[in-house]
Amino acid sequence: MKYNDSAGFSRLLVIWGITLIAVAIGLGVTLFLIERSKETVIPVAPPPLPTAANPSDIPPEPQEVNLFLLDATALTLVPVKTERRLHIELTKRLNQIVTALIQETPPNFRNTIPRGTMLNEVYIDSQQTAYLDFSSHLIDGHIGGTTAEFLTVTAILRTVFDAVPDDIKHVQILVDGEEVETIAGHLNLSQPLHLPQ
Amino acid sequence: MTTTRTNNTVYIKKAQERCVSRYTVPVKIGALFLCILVFAITLPSTAQAPAVRFVDVDGKIIAEVPAHSQGEHVYLPVDTVKQVIDPATTHQYNHPRQRLVLKAKGRQIRLQMGKPTVSIDPDGQTLTLSTPPIIIAQQPMLPIAFFIQLLPILNDVEVIYNSNLNKLQMRSKGTWIPVETNNTQNLVIVVDPGHGGSDDRGCEGSTGILEKNIVLALAKQLQRTSRQQEIQVYLTRETDTKKTHFERIQVAKQNRGQLFLSLHCNASFSPHEKGIKIYVNNPKGRLRFPSTAKPALTGQRLKVLAQADFLKQSQDFANALQTELNFLTETPVQIIGLPLITLSEAYMPAVVLELGYLSNVEDLERLSNSEYMASVAQAITRAFQRYISSINQHIPPTVVEQ
Repeated sequence: MKYNDSAGFSRLLVIWGITLIAVAIGLGVTLFLIERSKETVIPVAPPPLPTAANPSDIPPEPQEVNLFLLDATALTLVPVKTERRLHIELTKRLNQIVTALIQETPPNFRNTIPRGTMLNEVYIDSQQTAYLDFSSHLIDGHIGGTTAEFLTVTAILRTVFDAVPDDIKHVQILVDGEEVETIAGHLNLSQPLHLPQ
Repeated sequence: MTTTRTNNTVYIKKAQERCVSRYTVPVKIGALFLCILVFAITLPSTAQAPAVRFVDVDGKIIAEVPAHSQGEHVYLPVDTVKQVIDPATTHQYNHPRQRLVLKAKGRQIRLQMGKPTVSIDPDGQTLTLSTPPIIIAQQPMLPIAFFIQLLPILNDVEVIYNSNLNKLQMRSKGTWIPVETNNTQNLVIVVDPGHGGSDDRGCEGSTGILEKNIVLALAKQLQRTSRQQEIQVYLTRETDTKKTHFERIQVAKQNRGQLFLSLHCNASFSPHEKGIKIYVNNPKGRLRFPSTAKPALTGQRLKVLAQADFLKQSQDFANALQTELNFLTETPVQIIGLPLITLSEAYMPAVVLELGYLSNVEDLERLSNSEYMASVAQAITRAFQRYISSINQHIPPTVVEQ
């Protein structure tokens, strides 16, 4: 190829320039579509708005809630502050908080609950034990290992006890409405649990 | 036309000259670096290696000696003999003949540089070292093999060497109470390779290696190693089959197990987390059951917190494992108390041993290495011996007589 022809060289530059711009645009569109498709697979929960008939159930101001997520090192659980309008009824409030823990992971944090896990229901008994009923993806999607299992359970417990310290004393994890012995084959989850002070 | 061609030729020549003058210096520098690199690679690889640590039976450091490495071998200065064998050691080195004579523990040890034969007087004993002594920087240097092979003779100790960490452990012969006593012969250990079957594969490494297979292979190796030491070991599964926690404990009960060891591999959300961890079943650990355990919500069986009765013994066995496994790894082995389903119904001392993280590249490599896994099996066997020995020391004589 001869480059001594300046007109030819300029033309070549223009062609290369156009090609690069086209590739960059194509790449951008692809990445954008991938990001969008991710969003559609794992829906990011909007803060669930209570459907209470009585408007006095809803506090006028959003409240701070700490969600316990892994920091950038993925070794330590840290409280991540979020704000939301919480339902006044304890069961529904707990449902909102745990749902937020499952679904909201800000950048630079990592969730210990497998993606795609849903919270089916929350029950609270007279002994202030909260039964959190998750979908089976909590077990099927878990990476395994005692450390990872411990962090998953601890993240749930710390989030609950931090948000409603006076109302809930113990938490038991259920899956699809059933009591489970374990998530990943190590921890004993057959009993309600609490954290040491 | 001819003028244009001549102009072009001159232009090309000038351009070439400019190009040559522009690239001459970087090319020369590049060539120089290349030469240095080639020289460094081809140099005989005698280098200062990390220090060799001599540790006692409990892992405490006795001496830390700067070492030299040549190829795959590690060499130590002659003075090391003073530090680890006998402080009263003297030595004479004949430079022209390259002969070294050491006097230690009332014996005379003769070595010839470059030759593997060692003669020990007055016994007249000769020994062939796996690596001969050599001269480094005009000084006689002893290979690590000298200490591995000579220490048992001179100091009456057993020696274990970890070449990855340059750690040499010395333990007195007879540290352990022999297993031939009545009570220890009957001490049955049950090893549980975690997970199993197509539904329960455990963790998976990035290479596709599965936890269930790693732990099964180790359990079988451990059974062989322990039997060599006359320790009875039963496995809860010998094939890739699914077993419930209840079935695993049943195997232990049927064989009258007195110690339960469940083998697992760990996983973390962080690719940097690594190391061995030991878990004891403690319902009052980092996660806690309510003070009054109640029947399960929908389950058929009341979960018996059997391990509460054996927490102390489980902790003792965990300590024994920790001491032995610390010899294999630079990351300190941790003991953690948690309520564990694997051990929830084991009515005997029991621990879960997480051998390393399949989510960590270094641990994954180690767990895939048969040589490393053999050393793990040896370390666990030594932990069994240590635990058995501690039991024997605490059994009142009347019980032993029975």
